[in-house]
Order: sequence, then structure tokens, then C-alpha cells
Amino acid sequence: MNEQLKYLKSALDQHPELKYVLTFGEWQTDFLRFYQSQTNYNISKDSSSLNATLYKGKKSCSFNIDHPDTQKIDEALKTAVDMIDTMPEDPDFVDVEDDLTLAEPRQIVNNIEALGLDEKTRILGDLAKRAAKYDFELYGTFICNYQTTHLLNSKGLDKTSTQSPIYLEVKAVHKDSQVTVLETFGGDDFKYFDEAAFGKSLLTKVALAQNPVVDVDPGEYEVILAPRCVAEFAQYLSYGMRAGSVDSHNSFFEGKLDEQLFPPSFSLTDDPTDPQMIRLDYGDQGHIYRPLKLIENGYFRAFMCGQYFHHKLGLPKNGNTGECLKVDAGNAKLEDMIKSVKKGLYISSLHYMNFINARETSLTGLTRDGTFLIEDGKITKVVNNLRFTERISEIFANVIEFEETAHTIPFSDNYGEFSVNSSRAPHARIKDFNITSSTRTI
Amino acid sequence: MKQKIKNIINKLAAPDVSFADVRITITDYESIFFMNANLRDYSSSKGSVAIGIRVLIDGCFGFAGSKDLSDSNIEKLISKARANAIHGAKFQKEKLTFPSLPAITGEYEHKPEIDPFAMPKAEKLEYLQGLATSIKPAGKIVHSYTAAEFERQEKYYANSEGSFNHMIVTNTLPMMMVVASDGKHTQSRTWPGHMSAGRAGFELFYQQKFEDNAELIIKEATDLLTADVITEEKADIIIGAGHLALQLHESVGHATEADRIFGQEISYAGKTFVKPSMLGNFKYGSDILNIYSDSTDPKGMGYSPMDDEGVPGRRVDIIKNGILMDQQTSRHIAHKLGLEPSSNMKASFADDFPLVRMTNLCIAPGKGSLAELIASTERGYFLDFTKTWSIDDNRNNFQFTTEIGYKIRDGRIVGIVKEPTYFGITPEFWNACDAICGEEEWAYHSTFHCGKGEPGQVMRLSHGVAPARFRDVNVSVKM
Repeated sequence: MNEQLKYLKSALDQHPELKYVLTFGEWQTDFLRFYQSQTNYNISKDSSSLNATLYKGKKSCSFNIDHPDTQKIDEALKTAVDMIDTMPEDPDFVDVEDDLTLAEPRQIVNNIEALGLDEKTRILGDLAKRAAKYDFELYGTFICNYQTTHLLNSKGLDKTSTQSPIYLEVKAVHKDSQVTVLETFGGDDFKYFDEAAFGKSLLTKVALAQNPVVDVDPGEYEVILAPRCVAEFAQYLSYGMRAGSVDSHNSFFEGKLDEQLFPPSFSLTDDPTDPQMIRLDYGDQGHIYRPLKLIENGYFRAFMCGQYFHHKLGLPKNGNTGECLKVDAGNAKLEDMIKSVKKGLYISSLHYMNFINARETSLTGLTRDGTFLIEDGKITKVVNNLRFTERISEIFANVIEFEETAHTIPFSDNYGEFSVNSSRAPHARIKDFNITSSTRTI
Repeated sequence: MKQKIKNIINKLAAPDVSFADVRITITDYESIFFMNANLRDYSSSKGSVAIGIRVLIDGCFGFAGSKDLSDSNIEKLISKARANAIHGAKFQKEKLTFPSLPAITGEYEHKPEIDPFAMPKAEKLEYLQGLATSIKPAGKIVHSYTAAEFERQEKYYANSEGSFNHMIVTNTLPMMMVVASDGKHTQSRTWPGHMSAGRAGFELFYQQKFEDNAELIIKEATDLLTADVITEEKADIIIGAGHLALQLHESVGHATEADRIFGQEISYAGKTFVKPSMLGNFKYGSDILNIYSDSTDPKGMGYSPMDDEGVPGRRVDIIKNGILMDQQTSRHIAHKLGLEPSSNMKASFADDFPLVRMTNLCIAPGKGSLAELIASTERGYFLDFTKTWSIDDNRNNFQFTTEIGYKIRDGRIVGIVKEPTYFGITPEFWNACDAICGEEEWAYHSTFHCGKGEPGQVMRLSHGVAPARFRDVNVSVKM
């Protein structure tokens, strides 16, 4: 156990009137950002922080100490102990997390050490040379993180988890037209990175991007959503599956447990165990993180719920947080899905989505990084980026079919401390997707 | 600390280092969050130290940041920053240009009227508890929150050209929100809206009249449950200052960050429709539109005697009489564009890499009051309080929804509409601006949460705006 964490725990154990949750986190990143097929900047960054929440009855207060030492801990603890009696009560607080179950130990490779900067720049340099033949330049990021979290509480919970996610995002941008296509890799095991397949897939998209650029009118389109889009829509849909959303009356799923809301082909699981994803051992309060079926053959099955809302709302506790979402694959081959579209769109990626009304799942957003026109079963043209305004519940209700394979899609969280998570999803064919305006730009 | 940072600059001196700079920040932070009148979270951190070291070697920047300021770690950071630059230069086609600047010195301390870190915690909590209780769920109100964030940051900056800056500022972000429900639908209202922060202390709660507006947001959220939606295809709209600040932020602010021209943000935040050839001739907005970036005004959160690469604070006309004149730049990008650097390179905390950032980006005031502007509008809507915002990665197509719209008929407000949504194309929209209110309506509206860069940073910045009117705007989104 970290010395500072141990010090704070022993100090708190002198206060039997207090309950506590302590988190000590250490985080490092090596972050290569590139543009125009060259380095933009290289960043190495690290931090360590100790977070404590103290409870006295139904009163609580928290403090955070970056790069803690005993003097800072003594000061922060004294302040907190002195003030906790003055805090207003939260009548809904009952107790801290009591799930002491430990996850199966895993061997974690430190990918910052395993995947050096020279190897990153070699991979990017090779890809850049291949893209340059088509007048495309590369933009993106190649990141390795290494982070350890140690969580303790006054119920005896004592858990440590380590992650070392890798995130590679390569956007190929045409020098003149600015047409952009995207390829990504994410996971915690670089052995799943197939360099040849990655390059081949990127260049296949580059070839499609040579087509002429057109605009399309607003209206309802049959669309093929790339796995990244399906995963992102699923993430937004899952917002309403959080117990906190029910509590704030913003959940589409409130009162709909075990109702069929979607076609039988749609199943969604929060699965932290898939080795091809960035795995998680515990939820943020320390509850063991296990696969949880959220949508099963179109039926809504469970809210994601931690200790607090379990007591407040009476929902079953599972500790899931929706950070490892998987949409089940279907039966269709991608080429057949495209062939079946007479006139429609292939959408590669989404941008700047925001809820209009979370309870109704209505939102707006845009397409990005490769939107293509499908005519008579073939991708024929590049389309300027488009705005859609939709209800996500209707997007999934309008699924015609899913691809037979699911793909791992990494996402970076750029608000707060930089983190990487992943989802898995197949392509989806959707009817009546509501395009509301064109951006007139690519 | 001043001596420490200068010692680090001295250690960075080497024949292959053409430029180096070092930042140190020391930050106090406090967050208080009431939900449904119950205190859900009180958290604080005191004296959080961060350091960032940036070196330019062989035309490539390398950076290392940490929260550990020990001498041994500083040696490691210097090595890492150097290694990152040297390795990065191997994957580079064009060496970064960085014309030198004369050494300057800055010193500034902002003193809030009511220091939120010095006032008694009990007094602070009592006030916020009272506010939270005044909007607690009752009737159609099913959910509410009251929040406050306070931040004090002391910052040291030094570079290898001899520039040095030291400043201490306090920022506050207050907010309250209610959610109304009829069992099927929900509507919400906030006060004072999305851009509620400011360079101020606890006095911001009083200045923004929180207590006076608790009843108003409860009534409006409740009334919105039964309100109509806009039915016209197009309408004249007056945008309130709080929401106009976000419109400005998204469709002018980010669009004129010149790092986007060169694709340095493609991988995350996106590009811009602006091209270098547009400078000096592109009609971005109507003739009455004047927009400037001003890091010299201490009333805004973007004030700084110098930016995070040693450029002295400046006021720069970005749009003058509707014409795009300049950009927000770094030293490197300004040189590429043939411009003077605009003093817009900022890092949120010292262990963040500096990026081109908005500081105080403002629309110059026009004439007249909001009441006069509404009175001069025959038929339209007054929209305010941001609910949803979205803009494409070229900053060209935007769509916004506000919490509430006030229907204007014959110069008078005659009712409300729910979730008014408008969309448009950036230059067309700003060219449709035919009136901007005067100085009496002009104020800073600020945020703690402007996200940009990877690893991500959230910047504190301000927008000075007054309400403005836009003619014939698309207000119909079919869903």
C-alpha cells in the first residue's frame, strides 16, 4: 500500500466516529500528437493524488491532495474533521460500499514502457508514406497510459486495479479537398494490433475518399452506421440506464423495466471482461465490475446502480458504470448490408452530440471523418458532413440488421483527467435516419 | 518559487535548445453541490502544485508535466521534455519556426470583494443551503441543484528569453437549476444560465441575483411543461447575452483559433472553415459586427499580462465592421500567417501543454437597451439560457436549443415557447445581425469548461456581449 494512503488510513482509524472512502491514484501518459504527417508535440505527464471522503452520520466532506505528503494530509484531515459537524446532512446517505469481492488478478503490461516513442513514430511514418501516395496526410494521436487506483473504505474494502490502455487514432486528410477518413485501435494488449490490417483498412477508406464530394438534402435516409457510431449512440442511450438519471427524472427507461423497446436483434451489455477491450476490475465505488445485460433481445433489463441509489431508489445494486458497452453482432455481412441500400448514406463517425431532452433521448449531432453516398448498393460519392436531429431510442428501434462482427472502438475522455475506454459494436443498417441540415463543408 | 523557476530555466540552457519555458501553478479549489436541497458533495483541494517544462529542440517541442516539484523530479522532467523533443523531431517534415521576442515582466494580483476561501465555511454553506431550499422539489418541480465552484490560482511563468510573469486570480462559478415534470415530460430552467462564471469571489452570487430569481425559474420551468413550440420555418430572434456568449464562443471563438487552420486540432476538437486567404476581406458578419480578443482587461477571466509563451497581453480586432481581420494565434502560427502573435497561448494548469485559447473574446456594444430592442421587433422570439449546443468540426453549421423562448408580437412579449431551436451557417448567421444592444446591457459571461486539446484541458475564459438581434433565422427542426 502506498505510504501516504497507509498514513491517512491509520490516522482515520483513530476516529471511530467516522466512516471513510479513500482513493489513491497514480497516472502517467506518454502522448504523441501528430498533424500533417509529422509531430505536433510529445507529452509526458504524471500525477498522483489522494482523495478522501469522510462521513459522520449523514454528514460528509471530501478533500483531494495532489502529490500528497504527511504534512498536507495532516492539514487536510484536521480541516475536514473540524468542519464535518457543521455540514448539512444528506438524508439519503446510508453507508459506504460493502462489496468486498476481489477481481481475478490480471497481468498488466506497462504499455508506456512496452511501446516506445521510436516504435510509435515508425508505425506512423510507414502509414504516412502509404497515405502520401494518394495525397493524404495523417493527423491524430498515439497514446499510452499507465494508471493504478487503490481504493479503501471503512467497511474493509481494499482493492487495487491497474490499467494501461493504448489509443491510436489516425485520420487521413486529403491535402486539397480535406476529405477525411478515420482508423483507430484501442485496447490494453498491443498484440491485438494488426499493423498490416490497420494500414489496409485505412487505405481502403482513402480509396473511397477519392470519389467526388456532393451535398445531400435534409430528409430521412436509410443509413449504414459504422461501429463507432453505433457504439456512441449506445453510450448516449445508456445515460438513461443510470440510476442517477432515474433519480433526476431524466431517464427514458424509467418505468420500462422488462418492456420490449427495440427489435430482438438489439442486445447491449456492459462487459468489463472482454480481452479485446480496455478491461475494468471495479466500478468507481469499488463494487466488482461484472458483465451486466442492459438490453436483451430488445427488452430493457437493468439499470446501472451503485450503493447510494440502491438505497435511495430500491434498484438492485450492480456497481456498473457503462464504460465497457458491447452491442451484440448480428448476422449480416457488411458488403451485403451496403448492397441492400438503394439510396442512402454510410456514416463513419459522429461529432458534437448533445441532448435536447435527455428523457426523450432527443439530440443533435453531426457526421464526421467520412460520410458517403450509397447508390444502388455501392458507395459512389463523398458527402459533406451532415447534421442529424434524432431520438436515439428511435434510431435503435429502426435497426434493420447488424453486421456479423463486432469491432472494438476506443474513446478518449478529454474532460477531467485524460482517460481511455472502449466499446464494441458492429455496423448497423437503420431506416429513416433524420438528416436535418448540411454543413456544406467536409 | 520565483528563484526556483529561474533555476530551472538556467538548467534548460543548452546549445541545442532554441527556446524553453517553465510554468508552475498553485491552485486552491472548492466545490459545493446541493441536490434537492441536500448537500451531496463538499470537496476541496488546497495548494495543488503543477509544473510544466517545454523545450524547443531541432524545430520540435517536447513537454513534460507533473505535480511533483521535487528537485529530483525536475531533473527527470527536463530529461523527458528533451527526449520528447528529440524523438519528435525524427517524425517531422517542417521545422517549427519561433521568432524571438524581447523579455518582459508581469505581476498581477486580483483581489475578490468576498474571498470565498477566507469567508467562514458555515456562512458560505448557510447561504447556499438557503438557496437550495428555496428551489427544493415541490409541486411540478421534481429535481433541483445548487452548485458553487471556487478556484484560486497562483501562476509563475518564465522563459529562456528572460520573460517572467506572476499572477494570482480568483474565479467563481455559481449555478442553480430546477427540473419540472408532469410525469411524461420534463423541462428545466437554470439561473443565470450556461456562462455563469466570473473573475470574482462569493460576491458573484449577489451580483447575479440568485435569490431574486429562484421563484422565476420555478415558475418558468413549470410553465414550459404546457408551452407551445415554435411553428414558423424562419423567425427574427433576439439572443440574450448569456446564450449569445456561447454562440460567439462556438461560431467565432473556436473558428478563429488559427491552430485549427493548420489541422493541429483535427484529431479532437476539429478544423475551421476559415482560410488564411480570408484575412482582410472575408465578410464574416454584418457591418455593425466588431469582435475583438482582449487579454488586457482584468475584469474578464482571460486577462493576463502575458500569455503562456511570453507574448504581452493584447487587444486584437478579430472582426472589424464585419470583415475578418485577424486570428487568435501562437508565436509559431502567427509567424506562418505573417501576423503579430495575439497573446492567446494558454495552458489550463502548469502541467498542461499551452494551446491557442480564447481569452476575453468580446462583441463590441452597439446602441440601446434590451427593452428598446424588443420594442422595435414586430414579430419574433427572445431566446436565452442555453440548453443544447452543437457545431460541426469546421465551425460552420451550428444548432442551438435554449431553455426558453419569449414570443414577441408587435414589440411586446406575449408568451413563452419551449425548447426553441435554431440552426444556421456561421457567416450567414452573423451577417443577419442587424442590432446589438449598448453598453448598458454589455457584460462578461464566463465559463470554467472550454474543452480543447489532447490530453484534454478545460480553460477559464470570458465573453463580453450584449443582446443582439438576427433576422430570418431557421427555427424549424423536423424530428
